[in-house]
Amino acid sequence: MAGFAVIRALALALLMATPASADVAEAVGDVILPAYDRLADATADLDRTAQADCAPQALHPGFAAVWDAWAAIDFLRIGPVEQDGRALAISFWPDPKASGPRAQQALIDAAAPAVDDPAAFADLSVAVRGLSGLERLVYPSPLTGDADYLCRLRRATAADLARMAAEVRAEWDGYAARLLEPGGPGNTDFLTQTEARAALFTQVATGLTALADKRLGRPLGSFDAPRPERAEAVASGRSLANVTRSLTGLRDMALALYPDAPRTRAAFDRAIGLAERLDDPVFAGVADPSGRLKVEILQQAVQAARAEAEVEIGGGLGLSVGFNAQDGD
Amino acid sequence: MARPTRLSPARPTARLTAAAALALSVALPAHSAAPAPDQVVAHYADIAAAAYGDSLTAARDLRAAVDRLVADPSDATLTAARTAWTAARAPYQQTEAFRFGNPIVDDWEGRVNAWPLDEGLIDYVAAGTPSAEDNELSNLNVIANPTLALNGGQVNAAQITPALIAEQLHEAGGIEANVASGYHAIEFLLWGQDLNGTGPGAGNRPFTDYVRGDACTGGNCDRRAAYLVAATDLLVSDLEEMAANWDADGAARKAVTDDPQAGLMAMLTGMGSLSYGEQAGERMKLGLMLNDPEEEHDCFSDQTHLSHYFDGLGIQNVYLGRYARLDGTELTGPSLSQLVAGKDAAVDQALRADLEATMTALGALRDKAEGGMAYDQMLAPGNAEGEAAITAGIDGLVRQTKSIERAVGALGLNAIAFEGSDSLDDPDAVFQ
Repeated sequence: MAGFAVIRALALALLMATPASADVAEAVGDVILPAYDRLADATADLDRTAQADCAPQALHPGFAAVWDAWAAIDFLRIGPVEQDGRALAISFWPDPKASGPRAQQALIDAAAPAVDDPAAFADLSVAVRGLSGLERLVYPSPLTGDADYLCRLRRATAADLARMAAEVRAEWDGYAARLLEPGGPGNTDFLTQTEARAALFTQVATGLTALADKRLGRPLGSFDAPRPERAEAVASGRSLANVTRSLTGLRDMALALYPDAPRTRAAFDRAIGLAERLDDPVFAGVADPSGRLKVEILQQAVQAARAEAEVEIGGGLGLSVGFNAQDGD
Repeated sequence: MARPTRLSPARPTARLTAAAALALSVALPAHSAAPAPDQVVAHYADIAAAAYGDSLTAARDLRAAVDRLVADPSDATLTAARTAWTAARAPYQQTEAFRFGNPIVDDWEGRVNAWPLDEGLIDYVAAGTPSAEDNELSNLNVIANPTLALNGGQVNAAQITPALIAEQLHEAGGIEANVASGYHAIEFLLWGQDLNGTGPGAGNRPFTDYVRGDACTGGNCDRRAAYLVAATDLLVSDLEEMAANWDADGAARKAVTDDPQAGLMAMLTGMGSLSYGEQAGERMKLGLMLNDPEEEHDCFSDQTHLSHYFDGLGIQNVYLGRYARLDGTELTGPSLSQLVAGKDAAVDQALRADLEATMTALGALRDKAEGGMAYDQMLAPGNAEGEAAITAGIDGLVRQTKSIERAVGALGLNAIAFEGSDSLDDPDAVFQ
């Protein structure tokens, strides 16, 4: 895409001016911007499909493609995705108090006109929008309502996803410039290269922890009370696929930041290999001891990847993990 | 029922805030001799001891007010108990800045401040009350049932005791939403459910829920009184435990004073994690993005604005090394601010300004709530004025987090974060 070429040129220009920022430039140019390009493309495709044919089955391939794109980069919780709650809106999970189904059913029951008004739709609760909302509209769910309204709701949800992804990608140009030019005029986000590196490294470290604790930890529950029903995206069968995609995205980011990290690379590859060989798409197996063990081993491999990255990359760059949006309880 | 008017601790503390800031800026210019790290962490422990001590004092006052309520239920004794609850929260919320940096506090915190809760575990609730997913105990209703099917067996709950609450009920079934103890369980017993959604009004439990005999409403008034008394007793004993942890020989004090560098990191970690992931994220942004009053921190009493305000103040206290006690005295001493200023005056100045800006925003949020727009009303879809007030608080907290990270860097503490990571020496340890 044109935007990508521009930013790549900017990255290269800065790279030549300040060689030490090579790691940030590669993370931005090789990983982050292409990932958001793919998300923008996939959501635009989904939107086009939905406007042409809003039947649930027709949206399944596009839904999967958007998830593939989002899962690869959803660990990144800085910059434009943090504006207006976009990251929460693109996929609201976990939803322990069922805010999404409650608010979505209320919307349907009221035949709320927001489905015909993109600006009003963008203002709705994050729990009714995005992939979580759309999953309940195209896969089996407790939602019930008028077929015509449900069709318009699917279209509105797809269009809203495309809008957010396009905005995120467009706004990343400006944010990338601040990351790549720390200490520049008016840049209060990043004062030094160390801050820019630390911001990205923190996302890798906390992304791995969130993956282990949420995507894997929620279905694992405890030995006495496994909770397979708490896995992510069960209705669309994507729980494990999201784990694999996310691990791949995290690995690409970690190694772009610091390519000379053989132990980290090996730890990621081991975790990704375990995920690829796991024949348990929605972690239903956690309910029996042998199936559970496999998911626990994967979880430990993810935790080990974080430990390696902290030592090898954090240590190598002289960074520590900063505060992050995911460390509340 | 009208919400309690502003309580005594709020105004004096706010006044002392400005006075203390002034005193510090006059008495301690940035270039004065910086204190030593061991002095700073010792004073931090003193503030913790004072703040948990005040929390304990105020919880004992609450316990006395609860006694008067159950002995002689009336509008007056119920209102007095609610007022005592709100007063007890003010010092406690200021201690939350100690939570994330100190494992002893963080491991204990769930007993006293767990949230959100499935209140149907404890008492009657309205039909259709949302509960946590798959919480088969969300309508257990301990108050109505002297025998409970729990933890794979029958539990005798004829006597509602602190031990029953702590050992059998709290987090029953391993589900965090089964909050049986702490401030929010007591809040529910005093206020009841707030069924007004994002409209005006807080919980409206009648005092007759505590009247014995025919006038009892809600059923099982004697058991409700027993639960309230036991939960408040438990809160008092939990706070006694934590106050002791910060005594001269307390384990939490030793943890920060034995290794002052680790103590400094604990101070900044507590400030940063509470500011960003917890308060700005979980407690403020999420509720706003969901427009859901279920996400309001003090959802029964509508006192959320005070919780947020005193959380912010506690963060500022840790940095400035000061704390205004319930008795009006003020603790001041060697501060993190002075230490940072000695390394990098600009970082210190920016962080102090950020903390002050956050308190201005949280003060405005508090005033707006006390002026009649409760926090849950601010969460309503389309309430731009409420959204702006909450967003200003979130933005301040996020901004100060960046400055807190810069203070970590100024003090050269970055490397400390690597300590305590599981597998530095033994990469296979995590597989065992």
